[in-house]
Amino acid sequence: MEEKIKIGFYALTSCYGCQLQLAMMDELLQLISNAEIVCWYMLDGKSLEDEPVDIAFIEGSVSTEEEVELVKKIRENAKIVVAVGSCAVQGGVQSWEQDKNLEDLWKTVYGDGKVKFQPKMAEPVSKYIKVDYNIYGCPPEKRDFLYALGTFLVGSWPEDIDYPVCLECRLNGNPCVLLERGEPCLGPITRAGCDARCPAYGIACIGCRGAIDYDVAWFDSLARVFREKGLTREEILERMRIFNAHNPKLEEMVEKIFGGESQ
Amino acid sequence: MKNVYLPITVDHIARVEGKGGVEIVLGEDGVKEVKLNIIEGPRFFEAITLGKKLDEALAVYPRICSFCSAAHKLTAVEAAEKAVGFIPREEIQALREVLYIGDMIESHALHLYLLVLPDYLGYSGPLHMVEEYKKEVGIALELKNLGSWMMDELGSRAIHQENVVLGGFGKLPNRGVLERMKERLGEALSKAEYTFDLFVRLEQYEEVEGPITHLAVKPREDVYGIYGDYIKATDGSEFPSEEYKKYIKEFVVEHSFAKHSHYHGRPFMVGAISRVVNNASLLYGRAKELYERHKELLRPTNPFANNMAQALELVYFIERGMDLIDEALAKWPFKARDEVVIKDGFGVSTTEAPRGLLVYALEVKDGRVAYADIITPTAFNLAMMEEHVRMMAERHYNDDPERLKLLAEMVVRAYDPCISCSVHVARL
Repeated sequence: MEEKIKIGFYALTSCYGCQLQLAMMDELLQLISNAEIVCWYMLDGKSLEDEPVDIAFIEGSVSTEEEVELVKKIRENAKIVVAVGSCAVQGGVQSWEQDKNLEDLWKTVYGDGKVKFQPKMAEPVSKYIKVDYNIYGCPPEKRDFLYALGTFLVGSWPEDIDYPVCLECRLNGNPCVLLERGEPCLGPITRAGCDARCPAYGIACIGCRGAIDYDVAWFDSLARVFREKGLTREEILERMRIFNAHNPKLEEMVEKIFGGESQ
Repeated sequence: MKNVYLPITVDHIARVEGKGGVEIVLGEDGVKEVKLNIIEGPRFFEAITLGKKLDEALAVYPRICSFCSAAHKLTAVEAAEKAVGFIPREEIQALREVLYIGDMIESHALHLYLLVLPDYLGYSGPLHMVEEYKKEVGIALELKNLGSWMMDELGSRAIHQENVVLGGFGKLPNRGVLERMKERLGEALSKAEYTFDLFVRLEQYEEVEGPITHLAVKPREDVYGIYGDYIKATDGSEFPSEEYKKYIKEFVVEHSFAKHSHYHGRPFMVGAISRVVNNASLLYGRAKELYERHKELLRPTNPFANNMAQALELVYFIERGMDLIDEALAKWPFKARDEVVIKDGFGVSTTEAPRGLLVYALEVKDGRVAYADIITPTAFNLAMMEEHVRMMAERHYNDDPERLKLLAEMVVRAYDPCISCSVHVARL
């Protein structure tokens, strides 16, 4: 009999929502009959963290020195590393505040209290190791898992998504939250795949799947629209940063619109 | 010296989330020290939302926890609405509670069947139970699917709901969906009762039997429920939610990124069993009958009773959900949201998340968050949990370490902490 594909699911600092989404899929039972789960602490007490696997799925941001070591170990053990969800891919909402340092954040929450572990500012997994594939979202859609996992299990490679939420939103015929209601929807710069879930409820997109790659996230164009609607430079940056705090293009492109004027 | 690793499940704690472990240090004379190490990195939710726009902060708070994101969303939104002086219409409140119940059903079903039951059946995880326990796994999936479908329809999705906004909802489901929801709840009642019968039979370990002070929200209405403006304790006292800081003291311990809490200088417990022992007189329907028949097991003196209390709540909240849908439908059709004027102010919301008392205190100034304090059920429970693990360890420290670890894990799991962690048993 052919050997099964070995899979590991590892968690760094997160809400465990990505794993929960995967665990909640009825299809999981069919999918995993083709795989051997070596590590998945949330569901199995007999998990082994330091064992070779074919595919390693990593959820969460790197938020302690201990987690830096853990991701390196996972990389050494895995043939394919998949970053899962906004924390692993973009550093997550815990990266939102970039203007305060670790010490300020610590003091606000813990006061003078001391802990024996080493915390650090949240960072994406790709900051420390090579990541082979990303599954986006906070949380990812079930179909993201179905597609990626299903494709891997038949020995093929899943494709990335390079178009914005707006595309799906228009196809679904939703009223435009940005143009018709004037709310700061991040659909134009955010990676599709959610079927425009929030705009369908009349809620402005907050960008949970992260900005589209391939240099097609037009932060500047959207910033211009937001500015025309009365948002300040700080308000625009703050909103775009919720899920894109580590994006190297963000600030520079928004700056183009405000051209160095002081707010 | 021996060092053993064992994964166990621990709760989602604000700014900690997930990875934790139990450390039992043994010496010549038995157990020297028991520590729940919470080692997952801090996320500083209170700090990162400071100074941020209220609606954006409200989108971020549910990300504290996936198993109870709806609880976080609804509690944060209520605190914000209290801060700005807004009271939602009754029908909106009813539907918000239905959404909250969706979270309760999903969370309890997952916890009981996927995280607790494998211990009792001798499996390392639920995926191995599929063949032998088809019926149980089937019921688990059915209840879980019902809960997540309710959250999909009312909250936009089962994890990290965006459809709850200041003043109401982004969009309401149509009447047909609510009618179907009531029907599906009705169909699930027998599954919930099956679950209760199953958990009545599971052992509640006498090693951890002893007095426990339980805290729970005093329901706002005269029925067992989720929302309330007072906290009740089993020592007979009662205080307004806004005064939580006077009675509950939070402090930092060096082995945990999650703070610990004391009530009157002592550990205490929150959770399904805490709700049941504080508010049993407010139960009704089938759950009331089941409670009366089994109240000697649904007792305040054993953390394992929490599993059974959750099973009882599956029955209760299914019936309660149906009634709340009726209340909303009686006012149908109605607007999804009201305009909310964002004024300056301070608000505290206390609700019952699946795992127990959840506190949000928010101050709003110029439309932004000026102060935030969030205390999650597991943060409340950590100190008590440590004490119960110690009681278990004191009775089993001479046993096979594997056995001790399993029992320690089971104590932690009874509190319904939802994440994997590791146990170190260090013999000195």
